[in-house]
Amino acid sequence: MTETAAWWSLLAAPALLLAGAVLAVAGDALLAARAAGRPATVRTALRPLLEVPRLLAAQPRRLPAADRLLWRLGVVTVPVAAVLSALVIPFGGTAVADLPVGVVWFNAMEVLTWAGLWLAGWGPNAAFSLIGGYRFVAQGLAYELPLMFALLSAATAAESLRVGDIAQAQHGLWFAVWMPLAFAVYLAGVLAFSFLGPFRYPAGEDVAAGVLGETSGVDRLLLEAGRWLWLTSGAAMAVPLFLGGGAGPGLPGWAWSTLKTLAVLAVLVWVLRRMPVVRADRYVEFAWVVLVPLTLVQVLVPALVVLGR
Amino acid sequence: MSGLTAAVALLGIALLGVGALYAAARALRGPADPLPAGPFNSGLAPSEHAVSRFHVRWYTVTMLFLAFDMEMVFMYPWTRVVSAVGASAVTEMFVFLAVLVAGVVYAWREGALRWT
Amino acid sequence: MDLTALPLRAAAARPHVLLVTTPGGTATRLAAERQLRLQDLPQARTPADADVLLVAGPECRGLRPAIDRLWQSLPAPRARARAATPGALPDALERCRAELAEPRGLRHAEHRHENPAGVGPDEGPDAEFGNGRDERDGDGGGAHDGHERHDGHGPDGGNGGHEGHEAGEYHGSHDSPGSHGSHESPGSHGSHGRHGGHESHGSHSDHGDSGPPWGLPMAGQGEDRDGLTLDQLHVPLGPFLADWPDGLAARLTLQGDVVQRLEFERPPVGGGGSCPPFWGEPWARAAAGERVAAGEGARRRAAAHADSLGRLLAVAGWAGAATTARRLRDDLLDGASSAELRPGVRRFARRVGRSRTLYWLTRGTGVLTAEAARDAGVTGPAARADGDVPARYRTWLAALVRDVDRLADRTPLDPAEDGPRGGAADGRWPSAALVRVLPGLLEGAELAAARLVVASLDPDPDELAAVPREVDA
Repeated sequence: MTETAAWWSLLAAPALLLAGAVLAVAGDALLAARAAGRPATVRTALRPLLEVPRLLAAQPRRLPAADRLLWRLGVVTVPVAAVLSALVIPFGGTAVADLPVGVVWFNAMEVLTWAGLWLAGWGPNAAFSLIGGYRFVAQGLAYELPLMFALLSAATAAESLRVGDIAQAQHGLWFAVWMPLAFAVYLAGVLAFSFLGPFRYPAGEDVAAGVLGETSGVDRLLLEAGRWLWLTSGAAMAVPLFLGGGAGPGLPGWAWSTLKTLAVLAVLVWVLRRMPVVRADRYVEFAWVVLVPLTLVQVLVPALVVLGR
Repeated sequence: MSGLTAAVALLGIALLGVGALYAAARALRGPADPLPAGPFNSGLAPSEHAVSRFHVRWYTVTMLFLAFDMEMVFMYPWTRVVSAVGASAVTEMFVFLAVLVAGVVYAWREGALRWT
Repeated sequence: MDLTALPLRAAAARPHVLLVTTPGGTATRLAAERQLRLQDLPQARTPADADVLLVAGPECRGLRPAIDRLWQSLPAPRARARAATPGALPDALERCRAELAEPRGLRHAEHRHENPAGVGPDEGPDAEFGNGRDERDGDGGGAHDGHERHDGHGPDGGNGGHEGHEAGEYHGSHDSPGSHGSHESPGSHGSHGRHGGHESHGSHSDHGDSGPPWGLPMAGQGEDRDGLTLDQLHVPLGPFLADWPDGLAARLTLQGDVVQRLEFERPPVGGGGSCPPFWGEPWARAAAGERVAAGEGARRRAAAHADSLGRLLAVAGWAGAATTARRLRDDLLDGASSAELRPGVRRFARRVGRSRTLYWLTRGTGVLTAEAARDAGVTGPAARADGDVPARYRTWLAALVRDVDRLADRTPLDPAEDGPRGGAADGRWPSAALVRVLPGLLEGAELAAARLVVASLDPDPDELAAVPREVDA
């Protein structure tokens, strides 16, 4: 049973999430520098952080007939939902609040980004942004169900929706080992809801950065931060769901949680530049015809295992 | 700290952070007057407002998605009672899912999953 | 005030650069892309994300309105420069960064641009480094008003009245150019009046209170192949769009994100087209009787293919492979030997050519049979590929691998040999034929697929500018 933490975890959880996101950005910058033939130094890794003052100093822009309220709402929703998702993610043996429906909470927060990103695309009254916003909905229709079934595989195996219980149910054998498909689909889902790498279709280069195209200043900072916060949050959630949580020999729980999270994060960051963007018009068919049936079979496996216990 | 308190408090902290960023931007930015800009539009002036009734060609997929999403409402609680209810729980759930998947196969054959 | 100095220095340390290329500016674009890559200056996709507007290439009157419009949408702090030649580039970028870092620069600029009468001289196309400043200073001028109206803003010029007072680009249609009022923001500058002048030409019929918001109509309805009557959007691709043949402007009619109709506008006039296109230069020299080594042609062709592949991979969103392609291109142009290049090129060709994901994402799009290509006058790799987008990128890859083996070939170059985009038949450059086949390939395609198809043919804007009449035909 995961403990519910003291009040200061309310501050620690977002701070840890932010630290993870900064590490992910730095890792991505190093990989980008290596690919581009620049020296990969500490300075290289930290250069993307210059974005923060750069965007804070930018003059606000006003677009004709922009829906500023909905635009702002959408922009704010993405990072805030990412932070809220961290509510149920245990760090070692402690979560801010280990809700009895933790998995559903995480899922619900992730779906909030649908609304947020669509609004961010709708708000500026610009064609490419609008197309980008709708692209995310199309992408969502493809990635969401396999992702939900992947989450359910872990929940079914533990017979609980409480994230702490799921982590504990993996004594000795990680769910990732005997449910590799669910794990892989979950990781793809993480990339999809952070709209990064092969799933940056809503912010694709071909539509001039889509949903991001008209955002500047703090709005852009929040959306960009939201993506990386989501990536980190997704990586951190993979640990209790599939990698045994904070369990491990020798080290305390929080250390194992950190190590495993960073490992998952490293894999995700590594994948980012190694694949072309998966267009929704191709992915929808693949997701529904291949992934949905496969992940359903994957849910059947733990259900049968639970029956046999 | 109950779950609800924690959730609300975390929401408050996240919003505070967002607010702090906007305040920081207000303090740091050079010209405070917003720049009257135009949408990018590849460098040309737009000929109409972009907000419109966008033709989502994947609307049939949304119907399929809704069916499955409703099913999820049953499936979340189902995970907790599999061993308590026994084999019938698994059978019923997967027969139901098989019906839905049959619908997916039908929609696929009809070309609902392709729009270009 | 000191509080703002730090973020300004940060912006100057890593400004995002919106790079636009004018016809004839390919060499400068290549140099700019290399410099931005090596200095870790990210390329902005849109003005919203940009701090620096960098124009690579000679002055082109027909594109000035679009460039000015982009500049107008850049939030402060911002800087702008033109580099007409690769040599002018480092200084131009350096000056932009200095201008971003100098906290007073902003206010300085305001004062300067508040003067609406700041008519600048129209520089000659060959002016280099100094040109940047001149251009920035000069675009308060109304000098181009009359003759530029029709160049980049063809069919839909007549949209409604423009009584909006909020957005820079919509005001001023009934003001005389240059006489903008108090609604100018400090960060914007004197070109507004002129902008209003040419971007909003057309009917001023609905000046009344009942006009549509911001003087723009809402999207109109149109027939659709699904039998639904929903809104159509008219979205231009180009003249300036990342990884697009700069200067080429296509007007798309979209329903949802499916292209219903596509028209190309006239290529921009007023500069660029005089000298031979960068990619076709060895063949042009050979045709003129100069002795050019076949290896030089192979090198230029290989670099052109690497450039096209980089663009296609960037449009496909494969960041890693796109960077590799561009590095190979830069190495080729630097004069690396076959032996140095061979392992990297082979590895790259294997990785991209055999990528199942890329094949899955592009197969079946933009099928151009050899027959259709011949009928349209397309030659070169696009005709040889005889198929869809994967067939074309695999043809490029095969040609790239072949050409890298021939870099040391000293035999004279046959001017009739295919250039990067085909043979230059009776003095016409082959890109015009590529543009001619595009509408047929794109109509009915999804927007992302349409961009892939354009990138897989990759018409060269330099060649298009060299034969302005070809696209019309």
